[in-house]
Amino acid sequence: MRPQANIRAPGPAREDEPRAERASGPERPATTDRASVPGRLGTAERPSDRERPGAPERAQAAGIVLAGGRSTRMGRPKAWLEWHGSTLLHRVAGILARAVDGPVVVVRAPGQELPALPPGVRVVEDAREGRGPLQGLAAGLTAVADDADLAYVSSTDVPFLHPAFVARVLAAAAHEDADVALPVAHGFRHPLAAAYRTSLLANVEELIALDRMRPAFLFERCRALELDEQALLRDTALARSDPDLLSLMNVNDPGEYERARGRGAPIVTVRRFGTLAPASDREPLELRAATLAAAAAAAGVPLDRHVVAAVNGEQITRDPELPLAAGDTVAFLAADAGG
Amino acid sequence: MSTARGSSTVVVDAGSTPRRRPRAQAEASSGPGGYFGRALVVDLPDGGSGPLPLPEDVLRGCIGGAGLGAWLMHRLAPPRVAPLAPEAPLAFVFSPLVGTPLTTSAKFAVVSKSPLTGMLNDALASSHFAIAGKLTGNDAIVIRGACVEPSVLLIDGDGARVEAAGELWGLSAAEAERRLRERHGAGWRVAAIGPAGERLVRFATVSHDGRHAGRGGLGAVLGAKRLKAVAVRSAGVKAPIADPQAVLEAARELRARSFGPATAKYRELGTLANLLSFNAISTLPTRNFQAAAFDEAPRLAAEELHELRQVARDYCASCSIGCEHIYKAPGGKQARVEYENVFALGPLCGVSDPDSVLAASARCDDLGIDTISAGGTIAWAMECAERGLIDDRWLRFGDAGAMLRALDEIASREGLGDLLAEGSRRAAAAVGGGAEAFAPHVKGLELPGYEPRTLQAMALGLAVNARGADHNRSGAYEADLSGDLDRLTGGERHAAAAIETEDRAAVMDSLILCKFLRGVFEDPFPEWAELLAPVTGWDVTGDELRGTARRIVLAKRLYNLREGWTRAADWLPERFLGESLELASGREAALTPERLRAMIDAYYERRGLDPDGRPLPATEGELGLELFALR
Repeated sequence: MRPQANIRAPGPAREDEPRAERASGPERPATTDRASVPGRLGTAERPSDRERPGAPERAQAAGIVLAGGRSTRMGRPKAWLEWHGSTLLHRVAGILARAVDGPVVVVRAPGQELPALPPGVRVVEDAREGRGPLQGLAAGLTAVADDADLAYVSSTDVPFLHPAFVARVLAAAAHEDADVALPVAHGFRHPLAAAYRTSLLANVEELIALDRMRPAFLFERCRALELDEQALLRDTALARSDPDLLSLMNVNDPGEYERARGRGAPIVTVRRFGTLAPASDREPLELRAATLAAAAAAAGVPLDRHVVAAVNGEQITRDPELPLAAGDTVAFLAADAGG
Repeated sequence: MSTARGSSTVVVDAGSTPRRRPRAQAEASSGPGGYFGRALVVDLPDGGSGPLPLPEDVLRGCIGGAGLGAWLMHRLAPPRVAPLAPEAPLAFVFSPLVGTPLTTSAKFAVVSKSPLTGMLNDALASSHFAIAGKLTGNDAIVIRGACVEPSVLLIDGDGARVEAAGELWGLSAAEAERRLRERHGAGWRVAAIGPAGERLVRFATVSHDGRHAGRGGLGAVLGAKRLKAVAVRSAGVKAPIADPQAVLEAARELRARSFGPATAKYRELGTLANLLSFNAISTLPTRNFQAAAFDEAPRLAAEELHELRQVARDYCASCSIGCEHIYKAPGGKQARVEYENVFALGPLCGVSDPDSVLAASARCDDLGIDTISAGGTIAWAMECAERGLIDDRWLRFGDAGAMLRALDEIASREGLGDLLAEGSRRAAAAVGGGAEAFAPHVKGLELPGYEPRTLQAMALGLAVNARGADHNRSGAYEADLSGDLDRLTGGERHAAAAIETEDRAAVMDSLILCKFLRGVFEDPFPEWAELLAPVTGWDVTGDELRGTARRIVLAKRLYNLREGWTRAADWLPERFLGESLELASGREAALTPERLRAMIDAYYERRGLDPDGRPLPATEGELGLELFALR
C-alpha cells in the first residue's frame, strides 16, 4: 500500500460520525439477490453480465449503497421513505447506476427487508449489523473488487444525490491516483459520499479485525484526497447541476425528511421527437419530475413499447422508475428507429 | 441490334447444355400455394429463355425474395465470376406473398454478385413491378449474358424478348420508365437504370416507380449487360392460394394493425424523423464519421421540412402505411426524402442547406446512384482533400456545390468522379497515404447512418453482415435503441441481439414484407408463419421460420466463402476502433478492437461457425445447407 498521505483541502473538517451502528465480525458478505435484467441507465446491462467473450473489460467505477442503518432517529426505515413516487433507496441506487460504468450493490443488514431496486442492482448482506460503515464498506468492496478499480460509496439518505457529484468525486480519485476521494463540505467530512479504491479491501478488513471501526482510521492508512467545496465546484458540470452541493444533504429525522420532500421534484428539460410532439408544440418543456414516468406523464408522452428515452444523450431506457436529477435533459424518441 | 426473340423456352439445367422445347403457357403449378414453382432464366443477347424448376424443398427452405435469390446465385452464378462479366447472373425474385392482399407484400428482390463488394448482394424495391413480374407466371426472373448494344428486356406471357433501346440510353430511370410505358402500354411495369448504371458506377441502383433497389451496385450489373430496363407485364395467371379466405382475414387484421402506433413515425413524418432523434443521442454520423452529432441538424429535420416543404405522401402498391414523404426540391423538382438520403448528403458531408440536400437527393434519383454510398464516398473524399491526400481542393466539407459537382462527376465518370465511382474502398486503396483507415465501408459497402461507436450491437451487425455495412440486413441498432442493453459497451448479449435482428430481417426479406411493418408483430416468427401458412398450405411454424432465417443468413455466408471471403472481411474500418467520440454529456464513447473481436467470436459461436467464420459440419447438417450445393 502507499504511504499515508492525507491531502487536506482548505476549510474546517471533522468526521461525520457513522449514521448506522453495525455489528462486528469479519465475515464475508454473501450475494443474496440479483435482478435478472441488469441496467446502467434503467434497464441496460451491468458489465459483469456482458463480458463473457474474451477477456472481461474492467469497469472504472462501481457504486455501493450502505442501507443497513437502523434509522433510529427517523423512526422508520430510511430505505423505504417515499420519494416522489419512488423510494429513497431506489432513487439513490438508480442515481449511482447512472453515474458509474460498473456494478451497483446495496449492502443491507442481515435479514433487512428492502424495497424494489433498479434492474441489475445487486444486494449483498453484512453478516452482522451495527458495527458502522467500515463493515458495510468491506461487504461492498468485496462485491465489486473484481469488477472495478474504484467505488463510490453512498448512504441511503441522500435524496438530492446528483450523478454529476458522483462523477466529480470519482474523477478526482482517478486523476489524482488517490485511494480515497473524500468530500469535505458544509463543515463535515463525508465518508459516505466518497470514492474508495477497491484495493483498500484488505486494509478495511484489517481495521475491522482490529475493531478500529471509524473511517478516519482508514484515511490514516492510505492516500486520502480531501475535496472542499471550492475543489468540488471547480467541475463545471457539478457547478451547473448542484451548485449548493445538495448531494451531500442527508435526512436523519422526520423534520429533515419533510423539509427535503417539500423542495419538490427536480426540474428537468423534456424534448419530444418525431411524432411524440404535436406539430404546434415541439419546443422543449421544463417541468418537475423525479422519475422517467413522471416526466413522460407531465409531457403527455405515453411510455409504452413504442417509446424509449435517453437521459442527457446517453443510454436508452424504458425504465419508468429511472430517477431523474436536476438539470437532466430527457429525450423521448420513437422506439421504431428504422430507416 | 439484339434482334433475337425468345420464341422458344429453355429448360435450364445447370451444368448441362440447355435444351429447347416449345414455349408453354404460364400456368399455375400443382405445388404449394403462392408459387409457380419455376424461375424464368433469360440468356442475352438473344433473349432465349427457359424455366428453371424450383423444387418445393427449395421454396420452403428459402421462401422467396432474398432467400430464394441466394439459392439462385449458388445455383446459377459461376464460381468466382466477375460481377460485371456477361455470365454473371442477376435475378429479380418475387415471393409467395406477392399478389396477396397482405399489406406491404408487393415487393421484389434484385440479387447478384455485387460489383462494390464482390459478395452476394440483394436489394429490395416495391410496388407494381413485383405484382406484374410475378404474374408473368414466374417466381423469379434471372438474366444472364449481355447485349451488344443498349437494350431493354420485355417479359410477359409470351416469354422474353429483347429490344434495342439506344434512344433511352442516357436518360434517367424515371424518364426511361415513362417512355417505355408510353411506347408499350401502361400494363407494362419497368425496372430501369440511370446514367450511372450505364457507366458502371459501382453503386448504381435499379429503380422502379421512383423506388430503388439501392445498395451494392445492381444498376452497374444491368449496365454491364447493356440493359437499360427490364419490363414485365402480367400474363393473367395467378399462383394458387391454399386458403384464400384465411389469407383475406389475415390481411384485414394486418392492415388494421398497420394503422397503429408502430407505424406512426413512418406515416406522419417518414424515416427522416430519425435525424433529430439520432442527433440527440450522438448516433448521427457527421463529417465522414468524425463526429456523431451535427449542430445544424435541425435545418434538415423532418419536423422542419414537413411543415415547410411537403407536397405529397405516397404509397407503394398494396401498402397501407404510406411512408413516402415527398418534398419540394429546387428547380421545381420533387424529392422523395428518407433519413438515409439526408444523413448521407447532409451531415455526413457537413452540408446543412436543405435546398442543397434535397437537390442532391433528387440528383441521385435522376442519376441512379445509391445515396448512402455516394454520400459516404464523397465525405471520404472531402476528408482526403482536407488532409491533402488528393489534389481536388474544391471538395470541402460543408460545400454543397462541391457535393453536387461530385455527384455529377461520379455519374459521368469524369475527373475525380472516375475514382469515386469505384466506391470508397477501391478509391482509398488507390489514394493510399492512410486514406483506407477512414474509408467508411465494410466489405466495400459504405456505412449507413448509424454510428457504430455509440451503437455497439450495430457495430457488430455492420461488421459481420454478408452484404457489408448495412442497416437493412442487420437491424442490430434496434437492440441498441431498445434500452435492453448498454449501447456504449458491446458484449455477448450484443451478439445475441445482432443475430436476432439479422434473422428477423432474413425472414422479412424473403417473405417479403416491408420492415416498416415490423413493429406491429409482437412475436414475429409465429405471426409470420401464420401469414405464410394459409398462402402456401404448409404447416409452417415460428420455429421452422427461425431455422429458415438461420439457413438464409448462412447461405449468404456460404456464397461469400465460395467467392473468397475470409474472416478479415468481418471487421470495421480503423477509424471506429482508434478514435473515440465525445457525447453531449462529456462521456467518451469508444469501441476497441478487442471488444469487437470478442463480439465477433461470440457471434460465430452462436451462429454455429468455426473461429474462421465457416459453418461447422453440425450446423450445415442442422440447417440443411446442402440445399445450396450444386445438384
